[in-house]
Amino acid sequence: MANTKLLIIDDDPDYVDGIKSILEKAKYQVDAAYNPKDGIEALKSGNYDLLLLDIMMGRGAEGVMVARKINKDPKLREMPVLIITGIREQMAFLFPGQPAHPRLLPTDELLEKPVDPDLLLEKVDSLLKEAAGKKEEGA
Amino acid sequence: MATKPTFRQEISNLLYASHGDPFSNCIQCGTCSGTCPVAEFMDEPPRRLIGMINANMKEEVLDCNTYWFCASCYHCTVRCPSNIDIASVMYAVKRYSIWHKTYSDELVGPVFSETFMKTVAHNGKSYEPILATTYLFGFGAKEFFQEVQGATRMMLKGRIPVLPSKIKHLKNFQKMIKRIVPIGEET
Repeated sequence: MANTKLLIIDDDPDYVDGIKSILEKAKYQVDAAYNPKDGIEALKSGNYDLLLLDIMMGRGAEGVMVARKINKDPKLREMPVLIITGIREQMAFLFPGQPAHPRLLPTDELLEKPVDPDLLLEKVDSLLKEAAGKKEEGA
Repeated sequence: MATKPTFRQEISNLLYASHGDPFSNCIQCGTCSGTCPVAEFMDEPPRRLIGMINANMKEEVLDCNTYWFCASCYHCTVRCPSNIDIASVMYAVKRYSIWHKTYSDELVGPVFSETFMKTVAHNGKSYEPILATTYLFGFGAKEFFQEVQGATRMMLKGRIPVLPSKIKHLKNFQKMIKRIVPIGEET
């Protein structure tokens, strides 16, 4: 697990500190980018096994744009993405009563803030296993 | 890897990516404060607000009313000799305050924005009588009746529609919003 590299793209430094410490305790190697632009650059330069992505960043739902960019890139598309968002609290007034649906974007999984640490680790673990399985199938 | 951002960097992150961190360009000339039509009603004029963001005075920045009073006239942006988009900075601080819920409950601004967005998402355009309810009850009795009287007169003359009107092709417009903010049931 020490060689598993994760990237968090989230603009809330306190939140990043929180999830980072949970993941580092579980022996993952975690990097963070605090805005979508740095995030995309980090994704292109580093070799990450999984991305944890926030949605409400920058001038609005810029996380959506990041996810769309990833889905367009043939190399990055292989990487599992876990969306962690408070979008319902921040934007649900647009469509009252409707939850953020689990396939908000053509990404892999979605967790809503605040996140339960055990659930977070469980999702990260299952996504990594799934991705490893897919790689083996492909090889 | 990236170090933990300061408050100033957090606000920069809420601007256009191409604007980077514009706060260091501020020369504190005060053109923004001098040109701002609502500066006299603000706790801190725009020049001081930028100085405070520069100094990472997070609590003081979030506590003042400056960014809520900004009328978005963009005069400061147009006249800033350092090309800082000050009106966008005001919006960035508003976003920060809304996303982190740091504003007090009685503040009109956030409820007004929310109601505005709701009506636009619902009808494709805003509708004044609904918007007015967000601030009308904060008025004194005299101002309240003055406002109601004025609105009634405008309604009778057909200047304000009695029922909210909807735009043509509303479904397409709502689909467009859902594409930008993909929330709610899958269509």
